[in-house]
Amino acid sequence: MNRKLFKQIRNEWRSNLWILVELLIVSVVMWFIADFMYVRITDYNSPRGFDISHCYLIKINKLTPNSPDFNPSDTLEKKDMEELLNRLQHGPEIEAASLSQNSYPYNGSNASIGINYDTIQTGSGSIIRRWVTPDFVKVFRYEGANGESPEQLAELLKHDNILISDNIFIPHKILSLHNYIGKSFKLSTDTTRSFRLGAALKPIKYYDFESGKDSYCCLYKMDMNHFGNWCELCVRVKDNMDNNFMDNLWKDADKHLRVGNLYVSDIKSFSDIRTNFQRSQMNDMRNHLVGGAFLMLNIFLGILGTFWFRTQQRKGEIALFKALGSTNKDIFRREIIEGLILLSVATIFAIIIDLNMAYANLNEWHDGVTLESGRFIFSVLISYLLIALMIVIGIWFPAKKAMKIQPAEALHEE
Amino acid sequence: MNTITKQTFQQLREQPLISIVSIVGTAFSLFLIMLVVMIQQVKVAPYAPESNRDRMLHVKFGSVQQGEGSGNGPLAISTINTIYKKMKTPEAVTTYMYPTKQLLSMDGTKSLTADVELTDADFWRVFNFCFIDGKPYSEADFKAGIALAVIDKTTARQLFGTGTGVAGRQFKLKHIPYKVSGVVNDVSTLATSSYAQIWIPYTTDKEACDMTWEDNIMGYFSVTILAHSEADKAKIRDEADANLNKFNLTIKNKGMKLISRNRPYDTEKESIDFGANIEPDVAAQHRMQWITFIILLIVPAVNLSSMTHSRLRQRLSEIGIRRAFGCTRWSIANQILTENMIVTLCAGILGLLLSIACAYCFNASLFTPLYTNYSNAPLVNISILLHLSTFGYALTFCFVLNLLSTGIPAWHACRTSIINDLNGRR
Repeated sequence: MNRKLFKQIRNEWRSNLWILVELLIVSVVMWFIADFMYVRITDYNSPRGFDISHCYLIKINKLTPNSPDFNPSDTLEKKDMEELLNRLQHGPEIEAASLSQNSYPYNGSNASIGINYDTIQTGSGSIIRRWVTPDFVKVFRYEGANGESPEQLAELLKHDNILISDNIFIPHKILSLHNYIGKSFKLSTDTTRSFRLGAALKPIKYYDFESGKDSYCCLYKMDMNHFGNWCELCVRVKDNMDNNFMDNLWKDADKHLRVGNLYVSDIKSFSDIRTNFQRSQMNDMRNHLVGGAFLMLNIFLGILGTFWFRTQQRKGEIALFKALGSTNKDIFRREIIEGLILLSVATIFAIIIDLNMAYANLNEWHDGVTLESGRFIFSVLISYLLIALMIVIGIWFPAKKAMKIQPAEALHEE
Repeated sequence: MNTITKQTFQQLREQPLISIVSIVGTAFSLFLIMLVVMIQQVKVAPYAPESNRDRMLHVKFGSVQQGEGSGNGPLAISTINTIYKKMKTPEAVTTYMYPTKQLLSMDGTKSLTADVELTDADFWRVFNFCFIDGKPYSEADFKAGIALAVIDKTTARQLFGTGTGVAGRQFKLKHIPYKVSGVVNDVSTLATSSYAQIWIPYTTDKEACDMTWEDNIMGYFSVTILAHSEADKAKIRDEADANLNKFNLTIKNKGMKLISRNRPYDTEKESIDFGANIEPDVAAQHRMQWITFIILLIVPAVNLSSMTHSRLRQRLSEIGIRRAFGCTRWSIANQILTENMIVTLCAGILGLLLSIACAYCFNASLFTPLYTNYSNAPLVNISILLHLSTFGYALTFCFVLNLLSTGIPAWHACRTSIINDLNGRR
């Protein structure tokens, strides 16, 4: 039967050519979209290394001489900042609070740092410097590569240890910092002294859409001498007390959080910060998904329309099949298989185009490569299955109609 | 014409499924194209207070090069004054600092935050705000550093409980008393240069003016230039470059150089200017858009062709009979084209309505400008979305689609011999 089907497809090559062209275009674009989504979703699901749930960023500002409340005799801004941090840390709903510079997640501003150990020099540029008070790791729940808890890490920071992501020397063929814990390192920010490595950290991603493989960072302690109102003040609210935290803090701000000339000027939740920071990536994902849905709808409509007419044209043939003993199921299967054969032929050509595109780096980058065998096969398969699904649904209705053809009537018309 | 229309509707009714399929397919393609056009339009189309976007040029950032390193970001007021502010060609030049969230309070009432933009007095000449109460602060107010503020309607309501008649009343911004000088209609966050909820003279915030870096060349301010006419833009760029070169001579002995990366940019380029250290690639953006349009057009066109093809085969014998009785090829081709034209037009209108509905329902996620931190969703009103040019695009797309999908099969149908037509053979 299949040989006959091939012959039929060949005989109707003119109208099949249209379908083939469409399936080819759609296959290539669907592969592109599947590949894009594969990269984005695997990156998104790889561990972040931090946790922003129940976290808030509080902006602190300083009164100026223009304000009637300004106190010119108050010049101890650093002390005031420490007091403010202290008050927050002792709030009943606060789990942890910290000060830092260019350090919180989803932060557009960065500072970089170079790390030297013996003869290994990382150079600066790719390593993010996180300059923090010890509780920072408790706010964002950083974890050590050897299973250290945020509390243990905070304790290490408090005693002037530095924390470095475990993967930092991978470019130098050292896969883990396990053997370097307790050793002393030099940092490019302060070459006069050396720093003891307290623990290695699980990689901390810069934002959700990277794998974390190339995310390096180094944490070291910020002491009171460097406090100022430009510091980032981050807090984690206790899991069970995070209702209306922002409103409550605003109510409290004027009474409890006015220290010297410092006052609270804004509060943001980290989930908002994250949404704003990743808007571009989220928009891209949405656009690709809508594009994919559009193409699938088109395949469905196109196949539905074309096979609807075909069934009408082939009324006679189908009746003849039936008269010669084909069952309804045979007729139904024959129509569906015809569509799938067309898709398979189109996919062969599409794979050639896909491969060329990936080879020319026209698709999405993932950890510096565009062509990976597993990922390629997966995206081709996904695109094939999705289109196949649409073809089956599209042919379903005409095929059902074909099944209902009464041979006697149809042949009589002939 | 009338007969053809009647015939078309007859045809459409005869095959309801196919009619729906072709209309829905085309409508969806047009719907998506229109959305893409709208997302682009919203960045460049003029609307208050940025009604003169076609005459505007922007300098958001600059870069200072020193040895191998560079500092990238907004500029210091003194730098802006020597390079951009003193230009002769433009109608007006304004210096402003992009909005930051600040604390507002009325004595005794709840505190709130608002986006506050620091500006000069020329700001009100470059952008045309709609004042519903009071007036903007004047050049004299600005120079004297008087604590005046223009606020938007929503903020006025939040502070005073009413949107009108509040000019002259006082509130506290950053714990400093400010007097309301005027109230304006709310501004959409899409108007990226002029958006804020409160505007104050930058002379009232000495700390912000004094925040400079890279040897006082860089700061936190940006510039928008209003040209007399579009033709003046090239002249303004030349003048800005000349001033920049002069400025660079004065800092040469420090081993520094300020580079502008071809700024000032026009509104379109400005809308994708996200980093001081890279020049936005407008051509690449256009290329991506064209690829999107082509995919959105080609797939449904192939679809329709495939269907028209199958449908015509069914009607071949009908065409054969008509031609046997002396109907010309032209008249048959004409009918097939008109038929599809009507279908595409219906689909076009449907697609347009769909895109407008979608733009309204999902305006926050569709139109929110990238890399902004405003918590309020952008206001999108009909005057922003509905432009004659946009509808013109849609119609043109309709006809291109129609031509692509029916031209070829129609041409085929008319070329086969009458005998083949009558036999239903190709």
